[in-house]
Amino acid sequence: MEAKNNVTDEVVKGLKTWARANSPWVLHFNSGSCNGCDIEILSTLTPRYDMERMGVKLQASPRHADILLCTGAVTRQARERLVRIYQQMADPKFVIAIGSCALSGGVFEGCYNVMGGIDQVIPVDAYIPGCPPRPDAIIDGVVKLLNSLLPPGSQIRSAFPIHDQTPAKVVSK
Amino acid sequence: MPESNAPIRFTIPIGPQHPALKEPGHFQFTVDGEVVTSAYVRLGYAHRGIEKAAEQRSWIQNLYLIERICGICSHIHALAYCLAVENLAHVEAPPRAQAIRTVVAELERIHSHFLWIGVSAHEAGFETLFMYSWRDRETVMDLLEGLTGNRVNYSANLLGGVKFDIDQAQADSIRKGLDFLEERTRHYLDVISHDSTFLQRTRGIGVMTSAQAEVMGAVGPTARASNVKRDLRVEAPYAAYKAFPVQMVLDTRGDLEARFEVRLKELFESFRLIRQILDALPEGELAVRLPRRIPAGETVVRLEAPRGEVYYFVKSAGADKPERLKVRTPTICNLTSVIRLAVGHQLADVPMILAGIDPCFSCNDRMVQVRDTKNDSQKLMTWEQLRQHGIDFYRSNGK
Amino acid sequence: MNTQEIITLAEGIVQQWDWATEVSHPRPNQLDVHVKLLKELVPIVVGLRVKRLGYLCAIVGIDLGPEANEMEVLYHFCPGDVLIALRVRVPRQDGTVPSLSEVIPSAEVFERELHEMFGIEITGLRNTERLYLPESWPEGLYPLCKDFNPASLTDHAGEN
Repeated sequence: MEAKNNVTDEVVKGLKTWARANSPWVLHFNSGSCNGCDIEILSTLTPRYDMERMGVKLQASPRHADILLCTGAVTRQARERLVRIYQQMADPKFVIAIGSCALSGGVFEGCYNVMGGIDQVIPVDAYIPGCPPRPDAIIDGVVKLLNSLLPPGSQIRSAFPIHDQTPAKVVSK
Repeated sequence: MPESNAPIRFTIPIGPQHPALKEPGHFQFTVDGEVVTSAYVRLGYAHRGIEKAAEQRSWIQNLYLIERICGICSHIHALAYCLAVENLAHVEAPPRAQAIRTVVAELERIHSHFLWIGVSAHEAGFETLFMYSWRDRETVMDLLEGLTGNRVNYSANLLGGVKFDIDQAQADSIRKGLDFLEERTRHYLDVISHDSTFLQRTRGIGVMTSAQAEVMGAVGPTARASNVKRDLRVEAPYAAYKAFPVQMVLDTRGDLEARFEVRLKELFESFRLIRQILDALPEGELAVRLPRRIPAGETVVRLEAPRGEVYYFVKSAGADKPERLKVRTPTICNLTSVIRLAVGHQLADVPMILAGIDPCFSCNDRMVQVRDTKNDSQKLMTWEQLRQHGIDFYRSNGK
Repeated sequence: MNTQEIITLAEGIVQQWDWATEVSHPRPNQLDVHVKLLKELVPIVVGLRVKRLGYLCAIVGIDLGPEANEMEVLYHFCPGDVLIALRVRVPRQDGTVPSLSEVIPSAEVFERELHEMFGIEITGLRNTERLYLPESWPEGLYPLCKDFNPASLTDHAGEN
């Protein structure tokens, strides 16, 4: 009996991972950016890039989101809201920091109202550099994160050619 | 004591407080049923402290900081800064550079207006129009990328000129792109002036008279739609606008429909202007050198960004860093008008009234607090929910 | 009216009624008006508004530093391509200026920013809430004052 339950657990876990990786629901949060990264994120939903055909759906509520896409250097005002959103997301959850500001504060590093990047406030799982990163780079980064959740051999193939040396970096846990 | 027959309205504190209400909502509306009786906007979510930072960076370092004040109108900010510094240094960028700066500025206006029409359509629930306009916008993004190397943050300006030239091949591809964009603009103008469901959300809504626009300090297309003749390219021409003038596009109706039409119609001026400049690009250098220390003095530069007047005040004490930099964006001027306009309108109209000024802050995650004095209730909505409220309201009350 | 006519008209307005003003012309299209008595600021603004001489583009605060021990506030009115600058000086500590918001409603946001960045009191301003700074920002700390150094804030990293 026990052995059978273990197999079922494994299968269900695998299915959940596959579903999450193949159809992630994504929440977008701007922590005080110039909007450059945000408009490139929005561009990924529009016909030329069309991230939705890969199953990525933009969500409005933290409770339903698997992945949090963050832009901006985190202003003091946005900080509380960012933490609250992160707390409202159900486990397992992943955070992607998009753009130089989200990575390290960018050109605003050291400014009095800026915390200096998303990872100063919440844990980050992947970093996508750029000012702003192109929509292709954003999709590439999201796919890289999703691939890191899947066992090797069943990884997603992005519609864009992925080189091994693309700048997006997934933090290994 | 005389008795009043009017219902007394006051805000009743509701408890226990929703935990999320502890944080300030971006927007707070008090309503009486569906009608907005007071409106309040909380800013500061994108306040980074740029003016202070500018005092601690060199003149050149500031160029890279200024470009990133706004991702949508990056070039106009950088241009304003460069013109201000050039003023202080008593230097003028060469005519070819000014012309190229103007071409990029107009291409930026095109991208910004296409972005805005998509976002506004999204606010009204017109997803198709959003998708189409953003697909078309990719054309102008390609043109800008081909010219400058980046889709956003073009970084075209140098203190003293521009970084790159426009050659024949690029000029030809720009012309081709403009032909496509012009045809699409004609289509969108047709849609917004004839589509009945769209007109339901815009015609006669958010009316601002000429006098009100003046008093409230509105700028840009928001003001021009109320027949207020404000356009820096015409009133105080800068860069190449003296040699290549534009016509001001005005409208007398002052409603949301007028604001939509003014932005689309002024795109035709942009198309015409870019073509004219490309046909007559002045010969010469691309930049002149500036000293590392900028002479002491003060200057004010005012330019016409896609959203309206952007104002820069720069003071130098003769050092290698600015003494004071002040940036006043157009949105702060237009926001005052939105707040006052919202009062008296239905809550369902608020998303479109805000879209009508083309606000320069992110469209995501704006929390809205709504206090209803008629039903004694208070709730916290996301902007998404407010948007949907507007869409549902007009769907059920529509023709 | 052309540039010269606007400047002449503006000069006439700000120099009437024995107002304590001093004018200068830093550039051909620019008029600087040094307003010596703060109580005359609002009447001068009304005078400009009555003649529709431009709209209020911005209010700029400048900290002239601990040595000068003064701050300067500039009010920029821009009819067309002309720049009319009303300039007042206030002490660095406890400086006050009268509010323009009764005459020019859009001045309110500019004045709120002036106060929170420099600590200058605006008498008669009804809405004194912060504009850009968060509620958690410490009282009495004014970012654009010359003696404020952002590096002195200790909570940039790691505070959750």
